[in-house]
Amino acid sequence: MSGDDTTVSMTDPDEAAAALLRAVALRAEAARRILGEPLEALLRSVVEATVALFGAEAASIALFDPDADRLVFRVAAGEQGQGVVGRAIPIDQGVAGYAFTTGQAIALADVAHDPRFAGGLAASTGYVPRSLLAVPLIDGDQSIGVLEVLDKHEAPTFSLRDVELAGVFARQAAVAINATRIERDTRSLLATVLVGLGGETGGRAGAEAAAAELAATATADLDRGDDTHLWALAERVARLRRADPEQLDLLTELLDVLVRRTEAGDRRTRRREGGRRRSQPAPTVDD
Amino acid sequence: MTADLELPAWSEPFAAANREALARLPPIGQLDRAWAWGGADGSGVRVAIVDSGVERTHPAVGSCLVESVRVEPEGDEARVIADPDGVDVVGHGTACAAIIHALAPAAELVSVRVLGPENRGKGVVFAAGLEWAIEQGASVVNLSLSSKSQALYSLFHELADAAYFANVLLVSAANNVPGPSYPSLFSSVVSVAAHDVADPWTYFYNPRPPVEFGAFGLDVPVAWKDGGRMVATGNSFAAPHIAGIAALIRSKHPGVTPFEVKAILAATANDPRAG
Repeated sequence: MSGDDTTVSMTDPDEAAAALLRAVALRAEAARRILGEPLEALLRSVVEATVALFGAEAASIALFDPDADRLVFRVAAGEQGQGVVGRAIPIDQGVAGYAFTTGQAIALADVAHDPRFAGGLAASTGYVPRSLLAVPLIDGDQSIGVLEVLDKHEAPTFSLRDVELAGVFARQAAVAINATRIERDTRSLLATVLVGLGGETGGRAGAEAAAAELAATATADLDRGDDTHLWALAERVARLRRADPEQLDLLTELLDVLVRRTEAGDRRTRRREGGRRRSQPAPTVDD
Repeated sequence: MTADLELPAWSEPFAAANREALARLPPIGQLDRAWAWGGADGSGVRVAIVDSGVERTHPAVGSCLVESVRVEPEGDEARVIADPDGVDVVGHGTACAAIIHALAPAAELVSVRVLGPENRGKGVVFAAGLEWAIEQGASVVNLSLSSKSQALYSLFHELADAAYFANVLLVSAANNVPGPSYPSLFSSVVSVAAHDVADPWTYFYNPRPPVEFGAFGLDVPVAWKDGGRMVATGNSFAAPHIAGIAALIRSKHPGVTPFEVKAILAATANDPRAG
């Protein structure tokens, strides 16, 4: 799909709004590329680290899906844990639901002897653990899901230290998960704006498709020709995530200088090419 | 591997290797357990359990559930309605009720269900349930849950003060997830973490707040939903042990205030240097 002749499936909001939307889409795409790691990959790395940290048979993450009002198991690590992926449970039920709704970490043992577990979700996944630990994924004061750890190899139950360690680990995971959701949320925000503009008649799904198309349109040009340099730069910026604050401050200042020079160059070009068009003063509230 | 992590580690002071550091208070008079609750069975005391509900018919609850309500959200507010069937949607509230009943068998239990399909454990629902329990004049309120909502900080602070001034003792489980949680970290409540001594009567006093008491919370045999049983671990199973003992103290000494109950608990705590 080429950038210039693509039409977005919405009735025309005014040109300024369209430009604004393209700018937002561009930033969303840049955030996605800089963050690099999609949510699923991050979740998978968390459960794999969990299994290693606790010496456990399996671990899984369920995230809250507000549309379905369910906790949905997104990833699992450990051969025995895979059956749960894709399952959805009511948020007020079971140990996972309790950890999610109350923010309290709890561990249970002798689960396999309990007929409700044997006949419930665990059994339907083909694996009934002897013991399990459920901790809420909390970022700030918001619970976004649950991390479950099943069956330590070297002990029949989880220790108090395990419960506390899981609490800390889950919080760090929750912060990372929320950060990774930024890109998706920006796309979702775009869709909301499209619905709000009243131009999207295909409902939420149509607006989301339009938002995706808008992002593709906004970034299509950038993937061609010289602009691939921009994304090579984005890749380098992504690698700077572990730089210390002073280095980042210096980089920010350098970039500011470059941005000012680039924008000044743009204005000179426009003046030369503008012909009848008057040069643009700095925007004011009257514009 | 975990040395650089800041664990909340509320249970750490109560671990066997660290108990030496739990300096005892000088004895307050000649208080001992015989004086504090010897012969008491919880008669005349009402304990509210703000949780997932209590299963009325569970044998481990022993027909002591005298009232059962649930809290439903209503716009930005919440209302308390009768829930005579006595349903527990998880099993956790029943576990807490049974722990209290085992220690204080004649205490009356009241279930305040703040979890359920309709309320998602919202902070305002929890707060409304707590407020109701205080207004009803429960002697002891067991809170195995707490709220992390910064927006509800002042509301929970008001409720903790209201309870203290109304002579209602709040017993709250410490939360293991880092960051503040209310009301478990307020000074007027009895905040409890788990220890690993397999005895419901063993509890330790920690002179360094906010978590001042440690009670049995590792691999606790508990009642669970549908008449079942489970083995459970967490601070939320430690809190009802202290709630049960507090019920015995208030049963034998009806005149003591929450402040005095705390002092009696501290004075009668296990010697951290023994065994």
